[in-house]
Amino acid sequence: MALLELKEISKIYGFGDATTIALDEVDLSVDKGEFVAVMGPSGSGKSSLMNMIGLLDRPTHGTYQLGGRSVARLRPNQRAKVRRDRVGFVFQSFNLLPKITALENVALPLMYKGVGTTRRLKHASAILGQVGLADKEYFFPKQLSGGQMQRVAIARALVNNPDIIIAGEPTGNLDSESSRLVMELLGEIHALGHTILLVTHNPELTRYVTRVVYMHDGQIVYDEQTAIGEVPKLARRASLLLQRRTAEDDYAGVSALMGIDNEKPKKTKRTKRRTARRKPVRAHKQARKIKR
Amino acid sequence: MMWRDIKLAIRTMRSAKWRSLMTMTGIILGIVSVVTTLSLGEGIKRQVLKQVASQGSDLITVRPGNFLQRNQDGQISGISGVEKLRFPAGSLSDQDLELINGAPGIGEIAPILSLDSGVSYDGQAYQGGTLIATSNNFLEVIGKSMAHGTFFETRDRDRRVAVIGRTVAEELFKENVPIGRSIEIRGKEYVVKGVVDDFPAPLLGLTPDYNRTVFIPYSLGQQLDSGRLLAMVLVRPSASSSSSELIKTLSDRLFQAHGNQADFTVLGQDENLRIIDVIVDLFSSFIAGVAALSLLIGGIGIMNIMTVLVGERTREIGIRKAIGATNRQIASQFFAEALLLSLVGGLLGIGLAGIVNLSLLALTHLQPVITWQMLALAGGVSLGIGIVFGLAPAIRAARKDPIESLRYE
Repeated sequence: MALLELKEISKIYGFGDATTIALDEVDLSVDKGEFVAVMGPSGSGKSSLMNMIGLLDRPTHGTYQLGGRSVARLRPNQRAKVRRDRVGFVFQSFNLLPKITALENVALPLMYKGVGTTRRLKHASAILGQVGLADKEYFFPKQLSGGQMQRVAIARALVNNPDIIIAGEPTGNLDSESSRLVMELLGEIHALGHTILLVTHNPELTRYVTRVVYMHDGQIVYDEQTAIGEVPKLARRASLLLQRRTAEDDYAGVSALMGIDNEKPKKTKRTKRRTARRKPVRAHKQARKIKR
Repeated sequence: MMWRDIKLAIRTMRSAKWRSLMTMTGIILGIVSVVTTLSLGEGIKRQVLKQVASQGSDLITVRPGNFLQRNQDGQISGISGVEKLRFPAGSLSDQDLELINGAPGIGEIAPILSLDSGVSYDGQAYQGGTLIATSNNFLEVIGKSMAHGTFFETRDRDRRVAVIGRTVAEELFKENVPIGRSIEIRGKEYVVKGVVDDFPAPLLGLTPDYNRTVFIPYSLGQQLDSGRLLAMVLVRPSASSSSSELIKTLSDRLFQAHGNQADFTVLGQDENLRIIDVIVDLFSSFIAGVAALSLLIGGIGIMNIMTVLVGERTREIGIRKAIGATNRQIASQFFAEALLLSLVGGLLGIGLAGIVNLSLLALTHLQPVITWQMLALAGGVSLGIGIVFGLAPAIRAARKDPIESLRYE
């Protein structure tokens, strides 16, 4: 019995000509202990699938079984409870609450479960220790580095001992060194027997996973098992083949879907070009102003 | 709603003290005005009670001008023209005094003649005082005693003597017992014979401030200002008759004598209390209306800020929902914040009202009284405002879609 089983899951937004099919009868089953990467260009339905699996959203059609329980038609409050007990989220922009300490952030899901203060802080402290941040318990998020914040977020996702951890572009806001640390941490967590769903456009990250799923236009177009440590050829190729837009548009699209701050893209040739292109527009506008 | 929501709300409030204070202003001011108004009213009522107690409940006052209506049984059925109390036109003459004096059931009677002549001591005029000419038995009628010296007696009929209130002694003579000193009225010297004991503070101008009054014998007053109409006649029924009977007798007699016109008022002591009640309630309900408006605005202010806060914290709501907060848990978090704002606002309002009351006590002759009922009312009202105006933003927060909220910048 698979840990999660999606059958003919569809998500349709809008009406008439404005109809968007975000997910088009997707079938997916994930077993306990798998580390699945979901790849695909922006708009391919990665995020919709992630929201669906994480029970942030409700499918238009289809059935979804999580741990043997049918969860596709749950009401918002019931979904919240399933999220609380069975799902852990890791976001690109960390999404820690800024006004509480790292420890309290980690303990937050337990609070909603009704665990007493002392017990939940104790538990959260143990988990923080596991991700290597035992000495940062009383730091506020803004006092931590990006990598540290993401590790706090991972601890928060872990604190409920969830059935599945959903990581949406977890390294998107990190430098390569922090990215490596975060991915290694996810790898370790996977090694401990956790099931992880990684949504990414970065083929390099697939070296940590056991299975890669490619999405395109709301459908799963390819599904492949891989060995840890290798980047499947298709992942490389797919990222080229399926790429209709540039990597950066992709990045922006994923970010937008994930609700993520992408204001500071790293300086690439692309950004340089963009600023270069902008200048004449400004000059043009100024010229018009002067005319008036 | 749980303790942890309240703790969280306290934390949020502490992190934005200034904003919270500004949010609470409306509630604070509303509560201050409600409590102050009520306590002033209560204070006035208590002063009247005290006065009634000190003067005895069977004292009857006959005044010029008509400001109340009575039904068949002699009970007060309506009050109007209260403002005339301050400017009595004067419709009571010496004949009326004779009439009152001759009525059956009269025990003691003390006419009061209010004079405009100034009083001075050592060339220095006394400002803000009253000059009253009255009969020898004034003190018995009003139920007071002397602090020092004696009141004038029958043998003082034509002697230029005076008795003064306590405040006069302090303000004009700068001493407690100025007996034997003389004051000057219209160029004539009057020797101070005694100082009267403290009177309760006057109420809304219904009675003169006896503590600031210089009393002279009635006959001298008549000489000073012959033909002047009476300001007031104080009457006490004889031991064998009741005050309500006497009120009726006097009213009927004067009514006939005045050609079937009620241009005077006969008032029992307990009726005084009722009039004060009516005036105080009138005045309180007006201010309470204003205060209610201010509380309403305060409540809307809280709703406003909470709505803005919910918008600002959309991302936080999204995060909390993603990690498993139910709609109810989100709602109770924001509801607790609104409740806390209004409750703390209420408490601050009560505190401020206390300060206002103390300064009124210290700086004016008003004696506001705060009772626990007022505090309970203030607390209840602020709690109610929190509930009414906190609910909508809380529900708004709870209904936010988690995906949209996570995307929110």
